[in-house]
Amino acid sequence: MLDDGGNLSIDFLAGMTIFMVALIWVANIVPGLLIGLQSRSIDLDAIAYRTGVILVEDPGMPATPSWDTMTEKTEILRFGLSASKDSPNILKLNKVEQFFCTSFSYPTDYQSRVIFGDRPYRFNISLKTFDALMTKSVGDIKPDGYGYIRRLVKIKYPSNTTIDAGLKKYRNSENVTYHTFSIDLNCTELIGEQPNLAYQINPRQDRIQVNITNLSGARVWHKDPLSNIITMENIEFERKNPQTSVFTVVTNYTDCIGYPVTCKFFAYIDGATTYNPNVPVIVNDNISVRFSPGYFYGIASDDNSQIRIKYTFRLSHADGDNFFNNSFTSPYFYNYSPSQVTQPKLTEGALEVAIW
Amino acid sequence: MVNAAGQLFTIEGVAAGLIMLLTAYIIVGTTSLYTPGDTHISDMQLEQLGNDALHMMNTPNTSAAASIETPLAYIIRTNDTEQFGQQFLWFCNNTTGGTNDNIQFSADIYYRNNATNSVNHYHLSESRIPSGGEQSMRVTEWVLVDNNLFIGANMPAEVDNRYQEVLVEVLLWRN
Repeated sequence: MLDDGGNLSIDFLAGMTIFMVALIWVANIVPGLLIGLQSRSIDLDAIAYRTGVILVEDPGMPATPSWDTMTEKTEILRFGLSASKDSPNILKLNKVEQFFCTSFSYPTDYQSRVIFGDRPYRFNISLKTFDALMTKSVGDIKPDGYGYIRRLVKIKYPSNTTIDAGLKKYRNSENVTYHTFSIDLNCTELIGEQPNLAYQINPRQDRIQVNITNLSGARVWHKDPLSNIITMENIEFERKNPQTSVFTVVTNYTDCIGYPVTCKFFAYIDGATTYNPNVPVIVNDNISVRFSPGYFYGIASDDNSQIRIKYTFRLSHADGDNFFNNSFTSPYFYNYSPSQVTQPKLTEGALEVAIW
Repeated sequence: MVNAAGQLFTIEGVAAGLIMLLTAYIIVGTTSLYTPGDTHISDMQLEQLGNDALHMMNTPNTSAAASIETPLAYIIRTNDTEQFGQQFLWFCNNTTGGTNDNIQFSADIYYRNNATNSVNHYHLSESRIPSGGEQSMRVTEWVLVDNNLFIGANMPAEVDNRYQEVLVEVLLWRN
C-alpha cells in the first residue's frame, strides 16, 4: 500500500505556485513605484528650471498695469521679473525690489505665485549684480540636495532727471510772487521713439524721478532773512489727450496727503530721508520727487496722453524776484535727450533658484 | 515503499531560490535605471547658461550704445579674442554667493562668403583646447557685425568687408 503523504505536498505546491505568481506580479509593480522616489532630484531640477523661466522671461500677471504696482497682494496672480514678454532676461528694478521685499510671506506667498507644483517645495532664490551693489535673496538655507538653475540677467535701472534751478535759462524775469515750473512727459513720443522695451521710458509703467537742485542759487538774496524764504505751494498733475487742446488738472499734492502708499509719489525736501507729507513746505535748496511705477497710470488715460508736472513756488519777498520759472517760455521735456534726462541703464547680474 | 520526506525539502529549496531571484531582480531594477536623466539635466543647465551669456553679451547696457553696436559685435568686428574670453567667463562663472563656477569654452565664428556663396568659419577664442573627452554643450547666437575697414574692423581677411550677420558658436564644459 502506497503512502498518501504526497497528496499534501501537491496541494502545497499548487498554493505556493499561486502565491509566487502573485508575488512576482506585485514585485513587477514595485520598481514602478520606486521610479518616483529615485527621480526626486530630476523633478526638482525641472521645477527650478521652470521657476527660473517664470522669473526671468515672464513679466508676471497682471502685466498691465504691472503686478508690482498693485497695493493688495491678493491682486497678484504670478510673479515675473521681466520688463516685458518681449525682453527676456531684462528685469525691471521695481519688480525685483517688490519680489524680495518683506511684504510677502515665505514660503506661502511665493509657492502659489512662482514655484507652483503639487507639494509645498522649499526654496532659495537669490540675485546679485556683478558690481555687487545689489544682493538679494529669499528663502531657507540650502540643504545638501536640491534642484538648481542659474540664469544671467540685466536689471533695468529707470530714468531720472536733475534740473539745476540756478541756470539762467530756467529763471524768469517777470515780477511775480508765485512761480511755476512745468515738466512735460509725452507718452506718445516716449513710447514711439524707443520701441526696444529694454531702454524705453514708459511713464505709465516705469519709475520716474525728478530732482530739482540749487533753488537757493535761483533767487536774489535780501538782507532780511524773512525775505529769502522759498515755499513750495503745490505740485499739480495735468493731462492732455490727443482729442483735447489744453491740459486739465487731474490731481495735486494735497490729494495724496494721508495716502502715500496708494499714491506712490514721494517728495523729499533738502535731502531728507523721509518723504514730506504735506504742502506748503519751506524749501532751502532742493526737491527730489520719486513717482513709483504705476503712479501715472491713472493720470494718463492711455499711451497717447501727455502728462504735465507743475511745481508752484512762492517767494516771501513781497514784490517777487527772478526765480525758477518756465511759465513764460516752454516746459521742460522729459525725453530721450541725454542732456535732459539720465537714460535707463542695464546692469549685469545672476539669478539662482534652488528648490528642495 | 516511497519515502515522501524529500518532497518538502525540494519545495522549500525552490521557494527560497525564487525569493532570492526576486530580491535580486528588484534591487537591480530599482538602482540602474535613472542615472542618464541626471546627466541630461546638467547638460540643460550648462546650455541655458551659455545661451544666457551670449545673449547678455549681445545686449548693450544703454540705448546710446545699442544704436551703435553690441559688445559682442564689437568684439567680433575687432577680433578681440582676449576680451571675448574675459567677458564670456565673467558671465558664466559668476554666482550669487559662495565659490565661482569653473567653466571652460572654445568659440568659433561662422560667416557666409559672398563670392563663393559658401559658409565658412574661423576660430575666435578658447580658454582651454578641448581634448574631445569633455562633456560639452554647444550654444549659438546670431550677431550683426559691420565688417567695414573704415571703422576699424579687424576680422580675418577672408571675411567680406560688409555689414553681415555671423553665427557665434561656443562649446562650453565644466572643468
